Amino acid sequence: MISIPYILLIAFAGALLSFVIHHIAPKLRTPVALLTTVLLLYFVWALPANSLINIKIGDFILTWGTTAYGQLFGMLVAVLGFFTVLYSTDFMASKERLGYFYMNFLFVIGGMLGIVYSQDFISLFFFWEIMTWSSFMLVIYCCKDAQSIGLKYFVFSAIGAYSILIGIVLLYSSMGTLQFKNIFGHINEISTGIKISVIILMIIGFGVKSALMPLHVWAPDAYAVSPSPFTALFSGALSKMGIFGIGLVLFKLAAHTGFYSYVQYTLAWIGGITALLATFYAIAQTDAKKLLAYSSIGQLGYIIVGLAIGTPLSIAAALFLAILHAIFKSMLFMATGAVYMRTGTTNMTEVSGLIRKMPISFVTALFGIITVAGVPPLGGFAAKWMLYESLIQSGHYFLVIVIFAASTAAFLYLFRYIFSLFLGQEEKEWENVKEVPWTMQIPMILMTIFVLVIGVFPGLLLDPISSAMQYLNVKPFDYQMSVLFNNWGGKVDMQIVVRSIAAVFILLGIFITIKGYRNTRYVTTKDIHTSGEIPTENENLTYAVDFYKPFERSIAPLLKASIDKVYTLTGDIFEQAFDYLRYVYTGNGQTYAMYVVLFLAILLLFSELIFGIIL
Amino acid sequence: MIYFITSVVLILTGMYAVLVKKNLIKIVIGLSIIDSGVHLLMIAIGYVKNATAPIFSKPGLTADKMVDPVPQALVLTSIVIGLAVTAVALSLVIRLYDHHKTLDINKIRKLKW
Amino acid sequence: MSPVHFIAIPLFAAFLIPLVGKVSKNLVKLIPGIVFLYLSYVAITLFPIGIHKPIVEIIAGFKAPFGISLYYGPLAAFLTTMITLIGFVIWLYSYKFIIREPIEKYYMLFMMLITGSTGIVLTGDVFNLFVFLEITAIAAYSLTAFLRDKDGAEAAFKYLLIGSFSSTFVLLAIVLLYANVHTLNMADIATKISSVPLTTRIFILILFLMGLGIESEMFPLNGWAPDAYSQAPSPVGAVFGGIVVKASIYALMRLIYLMFEFQSVMHFLVIMGVITMLIAEMSAMRQQQIKRMLAFSSIGQMGLVIIAFGVGTEPSVRAALFQMFNHALIKSLLFFAAGYLVFHSGSKKISALDGLGHDKPITSFFFAFGALAIIGLPPFSGFWSKLYVLLSVANSGLFAAVALILFSSVVEAIYYLRVVSRLYFNTEVATDVRRTPVSGLVAMGILTLVILFVGFYPNLVLHWMTPAANELLNKAAYIKAGLFH
Repeated sequence: MISIPYILLIAFAGALLSFVIHHIAPKLRTPVALLTTVLLLYFVWALPANSLINIKIGDFILTWGTTAYGQLFGMLVAVLGFFTVLYSTDFMASKERLGYFYMNFLFVIGGMLGIVYSQDFISLFFFWEIMTWSSFMLVIYCCKDAQSIGLKYFVFSAIGAYSILIGIVLLYSSMGTLQFKNIFGHINEISTGIKISVIILMIIGFGVKSALMPLHVWAPDAYAVSPSPFTALFSGALSKMGIFGIGLVLFKLAAHTGFYSYVQYTLAWIGGITALLATFYAIAQTDAKKLLAYSSIGQLGYIIVGLAIGTPLSIAAALFLAILHAIFKSMLFMATGAVYMRTGTTNMTEVSGLIRKMPISFVTALFGIITVAGVPPLGGFAAKWMLYESLIQSGHYFLVIVIFAASTAAFLYLFRYIFSLFLGQEEKEWENVKEVPWTMQIPMILMTIFVLVIGVFPGLLLDPISSAMQYLNVKPFDYQMSVLFNNWGGKVDMQIVVRSIAAVFILLGIFITIKGYRNTRYVTTKDIHTSGEIPTENENLTYAVDFYKPFERSIAPLLKASIDKVYTLTGDIFEQAFDYLRYVYTGNGQTYAMYVVLFLAILLLFSELIFGIIL
Repeated sequence: MIYFITSVVLILTGMYAVLVKKNLIKIVIGLSIIDSGVHLLMIAIGYVKNATAPIFSKPGLTADKMVDPVPQALVLTSIVIGLAVTAVALSLVIRLYDHHKTLDINKIRKLKW
Repeated sequence: MSPVHFIAIPLFAAFLIPLVGKVSKNLVKLIPGIVFLYLSYVAITLFPIGIHKPIVEIIAGFKAPFGISLYYGPLAAFLTTMITLIGFVIWLYSYKFIIREPIEKYYMLFMMLITGSTGIVLTGDVFNLFVFLEITAIAAYSLTAFLRDKDGAEAAFKYLLIGSFSSTFVLLAIVLLYANVHTLNMADIATKISSVPLTTRIFILILFLMGLGIESEMFPLNGWAPDAYSQAPSPVGAVFGGIVVKASIYALMRLIYLMFEFQSVMHFLVIMGVITMLIAEMSAMRQQQIKRMLAFSSIGQMGLVIIAFGVGTEPSVRAALFQMFNHALIKSLLFFAAGYLVFHSGSKKISALDGLGHDKPITSFFFAFGALAIIGLPPFSGFWSKLYVLLSVANSGLFAAVALILFSSVVEAIYYLRVVSRLYFNTEVATDVRRTPVSGLVAMGILTLVILFVGFYPNLVLHWMTPAANELLNKAAYIKAGLFH
């Protein structure tokens, strides 16, 4: 009963049903969508470990099966899917076209589940494309501006998907099969040239989805413009599909080839640079969602670094971070979405001081950024620890510096994020803001608890990860439920860390309460010392304006030289060229007749050349 | 041989008219001339010197004394088709003239690119 | 039951319709429906027979190679069934869409078009092929100008001008062929063609390529196509894309595979296919009018089909046929949806479509569906055929063609999704109170279901594609069946 086809059937049937029901009984569509995700969650969770199914479609045999690796990502998708749909119930309540929204939302979830259970390249590509177009539909959901952004997203996705497809076609033409079991491990049966092309093309393809630089340009806009619940899923789960694919390509294809180390080295550096640059870009953003988007790109960079280094510890770190990033980035996007829902904006220079109005969202955001920053005791610490550890172990000292720089710089934008939205002065404008409804709080609270637990017991997550790594043919590594080891004998026991930190916090809390309780004074925007200059009415005095002006000035050339412009220019040139091309259709019937006669003349004159060779 | 040359000349003349003349009527005439050229060519292919029409009109007549009947049948069909096309073409020309008040093909090019 | 019904019944209906029109207009509308129902009955009875053993039907009692014969093999079975299906859906759509008088003429021409197309597919005689081509062409010229407007006449005249060239070339080729082999039966020609001098053969080939290349929209012979597609009434656009062009490309491929088997033709076809596809897709990019855009997209898809035919292996021919089938369905759906979108927005411009997704959700949904399907996204049928084309092209080592096909797919995605995202903007639009008629929706619904079903179960169609492809490739069997049935 519980098998993969049912999972996919539930997802897609639920999608169609919620679309249809929207037009029949609008009140039922959200429960239907929610029920679908609950069922999916249960089915994915209860899925037997060794289910395998073959379906003959056309000339191909599609194979779907569970692997530990797929199941890891499958669980992630199912959990996030449930949380985000739950979050949508109230967030989207006042929006239009909810049938359209939920249909595509569930299509995305179904597509992702299909990807993780695929055991051959045809079904992988099949579901990959379903995921792509349905997510495109959600990106363009919001508004007119979304049109060009969505198109950009789709073009990049299509280029990515088609490079995967060329890879698949190459594999098929040289191996005659597309089953994972016949390809993985047999990659050396084909010629080196094809091997290299396949691996490069596939990494490019999957790299687009995981926003690897320089293929990331679609990401910030697309993340910013899509509705918040979807952004959470987008950044949380959808981008992980790229990671999933890169993992497969690296460890199942490239690892067996002679040029593996080059692939690793290049990819690691691309990941490192992505992490660093994305962090810089993130610092300069004023829109909270864009900031988070760049932050996502940076985090994906870390994950890529971890995968590319290829030691057991680094892979574990990468997968750990991948799962964790899905959770904490969803938390952050949800908190931002909550702010957006109540204030109507995600611009950090407009919103401020919401901490007392929206405490749950604040706590979620706070835990989120603590996790991003990799500060103990939350999960991020364990991830970063393992990553640094593995980098140092394997001797990538320069990369450590790059990553460390990125990680440190991340504090800047994280601080800006939490400060401008939740801290700072309270503004009159947001006096009547309330906390979001419970349906939105629950996912945020649950995920907050999750990162906390994972922080204390990283082993909970490392269990499935180590079995996933077994599937990827990586040697196991040492870990205990809440203890992290390093290779020169040291170890970090998370429980001790947590206890000490808790103790410090409690002491600090008591201290502050005793010391400062009476002196607390709430300030407003106008409550400033202007040094003689009186600010005018329309001057935006929010603290977050020009938050990091000196820093932004120093990285200005970097910001200006964006690769995005190159792409836009290329696109424009192409389009202009296409536009000139269509002038061959002059509209004059005689010209067309002339083409015909000229073509005839050419064929006749060069007939020897064109048709002369007879085989 | 003279038939072949004539038919080729006719086809080329027709093509010249279609490609160069600007007047729609002349273009249609050109198309008809091309048709005639092709028809002549067809007849010429079936032609046998000193042979009669392919009808068993006299008792002693055998098949090898007749011209090939197939091209003639083809030509008949083809002429009918040509007529139909010309009729459609002329009716379109009338329609175009009604709308554009001109027969110059260069001025009738609203649909382009 | 005999395949001749496919030709005779529509032809009879075409003559009947004007007469009935004198009595009752409503009856006129029903006749094509009855014809198609009957034809589908014929198709269902003949299909299982024809797919195993070709039915060769002799007309007027003269045995092959002297008389005209019809050849109903797997390929013809597949194509006639496809034409019947598309024709039926087009009739259903036209039922409420064609409201402008004289409707009896519309249906008469439509029936003639069906006659011509099924004739092209079924005939085993080259001259007969020419006749059917001309029947199709004349009906098509007239249908293009059916709306009696300025642009329609212009488009029709251009179509006629280029179309006349096409018929001249085909006729010349047939004449030369006859002069050399003294037979018109296609199977007979195939046996005797090798005795013809090489230069003559190449000359004949070029003439056929030119003549049928015009009808099958090969670049640079396709100047007529965008105009004709965009100015004809929307269902006629579907007729062109779904039926006429498919019949023409069938004729071209049948002749090439049967008579001219040299490899260099195949290379030429691949190159021409690539050029056709690229130029069409690029031209479609910045079109202002939705139907013109669809027209260019059609040309591009034909380029894809030509490439796959040109590769000339069994899987690629199969893929080409599959792609033909899918394109016929999907492009009809797109033309149908576009027809009502144009009708509701009151303008042919793409820019007038903003926000129609809210006002006319179902029609817009069908358009979006068609757009996704034609780009080749799963789970729609277009995905499989494109994949098959790509795999078969790659198996012949033509990786450059694979890359170019995918490049043009990206371009295709851009211009289609531009329209789709326009439909789904969040803008307030003036509501058009007119509703899309049920018959139109049912027509689109049928196509949607078939597309989806084939998308999930491609074997349904692919299963029959293998014998069809083999028929096209296996010259000896055709000759044998055609001459000594």
